[in-house]
Amino acid sequence: MPAREAIERRVRELTTDPDQPLHQHAYQSPLRDERLAAWLGASLGILFSICFVTGLYSHLHQHPLSWLPVPSRPAGLYRVTQSLHVAAGIASMPILLAKLWVVWPRFVSLPPVKNAAHLVERIGLFPLVAGGIFMVFSGIANIAQWYPWRFGFPAAHYWVAWIVVGALVAHVGAKWAIARRALARPSRRPPLGAADDALGAVAERAHPGLSRRGFLGTVFGAAGVLTLTTVGQTVTPLRRLALLAPRDPAVGPQGRPVNRSAANAGVLQSAPSPDYRLVVEGKVRRRLSFDASQLESMAAHEATLPISCVEGWSYSARWRGVRVRDLLVMAGAAPSATARVHSLEQGSVYSSSFLDHAQAHDRDTLLATHFDGMRLDLDHGFPLRLIGPGRPGVNQTKWVTRLVVE
Amino acid sequence: MTDHDVPIVEPERRLGRPMFWVSAVVGWAVIAYGIRGLLHHHIDTRPANLAKFFVGGALAHDLLFAPVVLVVGVLLVRAAPRPARAWLQAGLIVSGCLVLFSYPLVRDYAKVIHNPSSLPHNYTANLAVTVGVVWGAVIVGALATAVLRRRASRPPRTD
Repeated sequence: MPAREAIERRVRELTTDPDQPLHQHAYQSPLRDERLAAWLGASLGILFSICFVTGLYSHLHQHPLSWLPVPSRPAGLYRVTQSLHVAAGIASMPILLAKLWVVWPRFVSLPPVKNAAHLVERIGLFPLVAGGIFMVFSGIANIAQWYPWRFGFPAAHYWVAWIVVGALVAHVGAKWAIARRALARPSRRPPLGAADDALGAVAERAHPGLSRRGFLGTVFGAAGVLTLTTVGQTVTPLRRLALLAPRDPAVGPQGRPVNRSAANAGVLQSAPSPDYRLVVEGKVRRRLSFDASQLESMAAHEATLPISCVEGWSYSARWRGVRVRDLLVMAGAAPSATARVHSLEQGSVYSSSFLDHAQAHDRDTLLATHFDGMRLDLDHGFPLRLIGPGRPGVNQTKWVTRLVVE
Repeated sequence: MTDHDVPIVEPERRLGRPMFWVSAVVGWAVIAYGIRGLLHHHIDTRPANLAKFFVGGALAHDLLFAPVVLVVGVLLVRAAPRPARAWLQAGLIVSGCLVLFSYPLVRDYAKVIHNPSSLPHNYTANLAVTVGVVWGAVIVGALATAVLRRRASRPPRTD
């Protein structure tokens, strides 16, 4: 039957052989190469691992475990880990797309399943590919504050990360031997410099268009351009190059960005109100209460600390305020005390934050009234905000009204 | 014989078997932990809505984005002059990534939260500048290779 033969021929043309994935019909490109796939895969594996480890660290800050306290020193540690998290996530975008482009014809390989191992491997590609795309997409959308979904970003991003990492472990196990062989052997074609007339037919130069090395360089170049145009939101000397960064560390109220304005937090009336008080209560011998002017006159301690947003931007400032540990002593709290800091902001997951023992007693953990010589603006947490070393910005609670000793 | 005919060596696959199954078991246990967490925290994660984006992202890539890139690649191979092809490919890859990344910035989705420090720049203009610089580099690179190639192919002077 000629029609059936024609269909079979067409299917053969449009599909690939799982054993000879490079021997493709419709998708032939000299760039679809094992070694290139291995290079891209290894790079992506490194970037995703950086994102996962730094993401876990950030999660641990926001969901503390009593048996695994996070260090409050060095003070800039969270700034480094979270900047790395966001920068590695952004840089992985071109590499993920390139990797998927190189291996995409495997998606249409026939027969779809050869044996049990192949079936397990192919099923595992779904959480890997879908999860990888989800993580990069949701991360980039989140830093641009674009929320086309209805789920809570931190929880979804965190749990899908486990799915991706699990799929990555399975994938590395499946590809280890192939990737190692591909990375170990020298390139099958002579490099450009060695190309001569005799080798012309097989040298990189003979192929019009990007060489494999050129393709890899371009993809890394794309990751580099994205990094260069965004990383200035946290590496302040590169601020002027950060044309595509969602934040500028020198733009915002009092020349500094904020993630949540006073209007969005619903504290425009309560924060500047003469009824405002800071109350220190809980497991204390003396309940304390201060108004805004008393706090301002008590604010004598200064510390230079970074404020580092989970979204990857940060800046360093000189803060002035009252030490939390001095307040604990004044209230007669136990030496082992921990504390929870509550905001005037209601109904947000970030309305309060926890200070473990090390953080509560750190000499630089302040309830600040000033930064860089200026009284805090409403958007920066007037009349009082928490600032402590090595904490994520979301835990540097603003519009602080209660310190509950635990 | 082209390099594409080098077969995948089966014995190495067999050598990899124990590692394959161990990592598959460990990997799927971690995946199960992630799925359990998603379902357990369903008030935050909204599994049905999340599933739409999880599956939707993969479908959008495999059925929309990847075929479009393949078609662009085919058109480029057919239409672009051979000496300029590599540079055009490089320019398209880098600027494509920049456009994709900048999409939510250019659309200014953050404006609904009225926070002046969110997305403080004119991202349409900044994207245009960045893409312009990339294509400037592409043009300079293409011209430089053309000049070098012409020089290299010129016969040596005998006088």
